[in-house]
Amino acid sequence: MDNELSEIYAFVGSIAPFEQLPEEAIVNIVSHISICYITAGQELPPQHIETPSFFIVRKGALNYVDENGELIGKYGEGDICTVFCYPEKYASISVTAEEDCLLYALDKQKLLGTLITQPHIISFFEQSAEERLKNKVSSLQEEAVVNSTLTNTGVDQLYQSPAATINQHQSIAETAQKMTELGFSCLVVVDNENQVKGIVTDKDFRRRCIAGGIPPEQPISEIMTPDISMLDIRHTAFDALIAMTSRHIHHLPITDQGKLAGMLTITDLMHFEGQNAINLTSLIHKASSVDELAEISELIPKLQVKMARLGTPAEQVGKSISAITMAFTIRLIEIAEELYGKAPVPYAWVAAGSQARQEQMAQSDQDNALIIDDSMQPEHGPWFERLARFVCDGLAQCGFIHCPGNVMAMNEKWRQTESQWHHYFHDWIEKPSPKALMHCSIFFDLTTVHGDKQLLNRVQGKMLARTQKASLFIAHLSKNALQFTPPLGFFRDFVLISNGKNKKTMDLKHNAIAPIVDLARIYALQEGITSVNTIERIRQAAGTRSITKASAANLIDAFEFLTTLRLTHQANQLQAGDKADNFLSLKEISRLEREYLKDAFKVIKTLQDNRQSVY
Amino acid sequence: MLGTLVSNRLDNWFGLNAQRERLLKKVPEGPLKTFLSVPFPEPKTPISKVPMLALDFETSALEASEGHLLSMGYVSVENLSINLGSAEHFLVKSQQQLSNDNVAIHQITAQESQSGLTLEEAVEKLLAALAGKVMLVHYAKVEQTFLAKACKTLYGYEPVYPIVDTLVVAKRRFDRRLLPYDPQDLRLTNLRDSYQLPGHYAHNALNDAVATAELLLAELAHHQQTANPLKDFLR
Repeated sequence: MDNELSEIYAFVGSIAPFEQLPEEAIVNIVSHISICYITAGQELPPQHIETPSFFIVRKGALNYVDENGELIGKYGEGDICTVFCYPEKYASISVTAEEDCLLYALDKQKLLGTLITQPHIISFFEQSAEERLKNKVSSLQEEAVVNSTLTNTGVDQLYQSPAATINQHQSIAETAQKMTELGFSCLVVVDNENQVKGIVTDKDFRRRCIAGGIPPEQPISEIMTPDISMLDIRHTAFDALIAMTSRHIHHLPITDQGKLAGMLTITDLMHFEGQNAINLTSLIHKASSVDELAEISELIPKLQVKMARLGTPAEQVGKSISAITMAFTIRLIEIAEELYGKAPVPYAWVAAGSQARQEQMAQSDQDNALIIDDSMQPEHGPWFERLARFVCDGLAQCGFIHCPGNVMAMNEKWRQTESQWHHYFHDWIEKPSPKALMHCSIFFDLTTVHGDKQLLNRVQGKMLARTQKASLFIAHLSKNALQFTPPLGFFRDFVLISNGKNKKTMDLKHNAIAPIVDLARIYALQEGITSVNTIERIRQAAGTRSITKASAANLIDAFEFLTTLRLTHQANQLQAGDKADNFLSLKEISRLEREYLKDAFKVIKTLQDNRQSVY
Repeated sequence: MLGTLVSNRLDNWFGLNAQRERLLKKVPEGPLKTFLSVPFPEPKTPISKVPMLALDFETSALEASEGHLLSMGYVSVENLSINLGSAEHFLVKSQQQLSNDNVAIHQITAQESQSGLTLEEAVEKLLAALAGKVMLVHYAKVEQTFLAKACKTLYGYEPVYPIVDTLVVAKRRFDRRLLPYDPQDLRLTNLRDSYQLPGHYAHNALNDAVATAELLLAELAHHQQTANPLKDFLR
C-alpha cells in the first residue's frame, strides 16, 4: 500500500541538492532517514548515531564553531550539515544545537549508495563552499552562452565580407556612384597598399561635402572620417555592440590580423536583437530635447529585463547600461552646449561610482563631477554651473535620480579645476580620516564621459603614484571596507533590515556586492592598477601581494554570482512594474541559490579576514 | 504512598508478563501465538534502548463496538531514532458501508478501502512488527480496543502487550506540576506545538504515528528522561 509520508517527501524534495530529483529517488532517500531530536546546547552528532551521517535540519538551528570558539555559520531549516561525513575537511568544526532541533539523519554510505546515478549531487556534498560557487558560476555562464545570441556569436559569423572599399584618391563623385551601384551606405577608404585610411558614409556627403562646400571633384579623403575604430575578427558580437554603442557608430570595419576583412553594420546586429542597446543609443543620439530623452529612458529597464532574461551575464549588462547612461550624458552635454554656447575652457565630464566601473543598473542614482582646465577664470564659473545643473537635472528626468550624497557636478565642491582635484586627492591620501574616506571612496572610481581625457588621466596618474606608497591611507580604506560584512548568520531567519517595507530581506548591494567592490578598489590602489571595473581590477591584482591567484578567482566567481542574482531580482521587480532595489528576500531564491549565496559570503568573509590580519 | 504506586506498577508489569506466558499456552497456533512467544523488553531497560513501534489507527467510530478499522500506520523507534525505512501504512477493507462523514474525515473512499488488506492480513502484519516491542501511541484506548476486538474475532483471544501512551506521559507531567491545565493541551497537535515541532497532516495513520514518535523524542529530551527505565513510562 501507499507509504503515506507525503509531507516528508515534499520537505526533502524542496531542499538543495535534492530539488531536481524525481519522486522515486526522494522516496528512496526518505526510507533511509532516521528522525532524531536534540535540545538546545547539545553537540552533534547525537550519541546514538554511530555511523558518519548527514543531518538535515527539519526544525531548529545549528551553530558551527571553529577551534577558536568563533561562530562561523548558522544552519537552519532545510540546511544540510555535512561536517561529520568529511572529517578530513572539517576536523576543526564543532556543531551545536542553538535551538531544539528535529533532525533527519541520513547514513553517509546509504545515502551516497542511493545517489550513485546522480554524481552531481554527491559532488555537491563533497565540495567546499568555494568549489560549489565555481561550478555554479560556470553553469550560469553556460546558460548565458546557450541563451544569449550576442555573446554566443562571433563577429566572424555576422560580418559581410569582403568590405566594399574605395581608393582614397578617387573623387567624391566616383565614390557616390559606387555606393549607389552597390546599394551601400558606407565604404571603407583605403590607400594603394589596401591599408585602411578611413570610412565614408551617406552622412559625410551631406555634412562635409554639400554643407561644407567641398566640390565633388575632390578626392574622397577630403570628406571621409579618418582614425576609425575597427574590431578584430576574434571578438564576439557583444564586443562589437559595446564598441558601437560607446562611440555612436553604425559601421565597424572588421580586421583579421590587422588586415581589413569585412564590415559589420548596426543592421547586422539588429537582426540578432530587436530592442537593444544600439537601438537605444541611436535613438538617444537623435533626440533633440530632454523630454525626448526622458521618453527613451523608459526603455532602459525593459532592455535590462530582456538582457537578464536572455541570460546575459551581469558583467555585460552592467557594461551596456553604463554605455547607455554615457550616451544620455553626452547628448545632454551637447544640448547644453547648443543652449549656452561652447565651453570657455577645456574640461572633462567624469562619471564616478558604478557608472565608471561599468557596473551600472537601471534606475540607479547618478554620481558625476567636472574637472576643469587650470586656465579657468572666475568669470567662467557660471557657464560650468549652468552646464552641470542642466545635465544633472536632465539625467534625473531620465530616471537617474540625483545622488543622495550630493556627489554631482552641480555641487560646486565637485566642479573644480585640475589643480584643485590634485589637491583633493593629495589630502585624502596623505591625511586620511576614515570618515572623509568613506564619503570620497567613490572618487577612486572615475572615467571620462565627455571632454578632454587628459585631465582625468593626469589626476588619476598622480593619485595612483601616491596610493601605492600610502600605507596609512590603505589602512584607513581597508577599515572602511570591512565595515560592511556579509551577514553569515542570516540564513537562519534572514532578518537583517528591519525598517519598513524591506523587512526580512538582506541588502544585496551593501552587504554583498559593495564589500567586493571595496576590496577590489583597495587592491587596485595598492598595486597602481588604473582599471576601475571590479572584475578587471581583481584580475589584474591576482598574484600580487594584495591577493593570490586562487583567491582572486574565487572572488570573481562570488562577484559574478551576486551580481547575476541582483540582476534577476531586479528583472523580476521591473517586470512586475515595481522599482528596482537591492533588497533580496529569502522567498525569492531557490534553496540551491541560497547555498551558493552562503558560499559567496564565505569567500568574501575569508578575504575580509585576510585584510584585517594585514592591517 | 509513592512507593506503593511504584510497586503496584511493577506488579502490573509482572502481571502483564505473567499474562503473556499464561496466554501463550492457551492460544492456538497462528499469528497471535507467534507474537506472544517473543518476550517484552525488560522493564529496567533505559527507555533509550527500548525498541518501540509507534502506531496509529484510523477508525470509523471511537468505540470498537460501533466502528471498524479503516487504516493503520506504524514506524519503529530504536535508539531514540525513528527509522522511516520501517514505516508501513495500509488501508483495511471495510466490512460495513462507509458513512460520508468517514470519507470526509479520513479521505478514504469506499473504493479505496476495498483495495486494502483484509482485517486478518492487516492484523497479522501488525503483530509481526510489534513482536518484542513496546506499543507507542497517543491516547491508547482506540488502538487497544480495536486491536483487542479484531484479535478476539480472528483468534478467539485478546492480546497483552506493554504500552507507552504519550498522552499519559504528558498528563503525568502536568499532574506533577499541581497546576490546573486545559485538557485540550493534551491533544497530539497541541503537545507538538508546545515543543515547536513542525505542523503535520493529521488524519493519516502513518503521519500520526510519526508525529507521536517525534513527540516522545521531544518529551524525553526536554525532561532529561532518556536514561530513565521503561517502567516509568508504561501505562
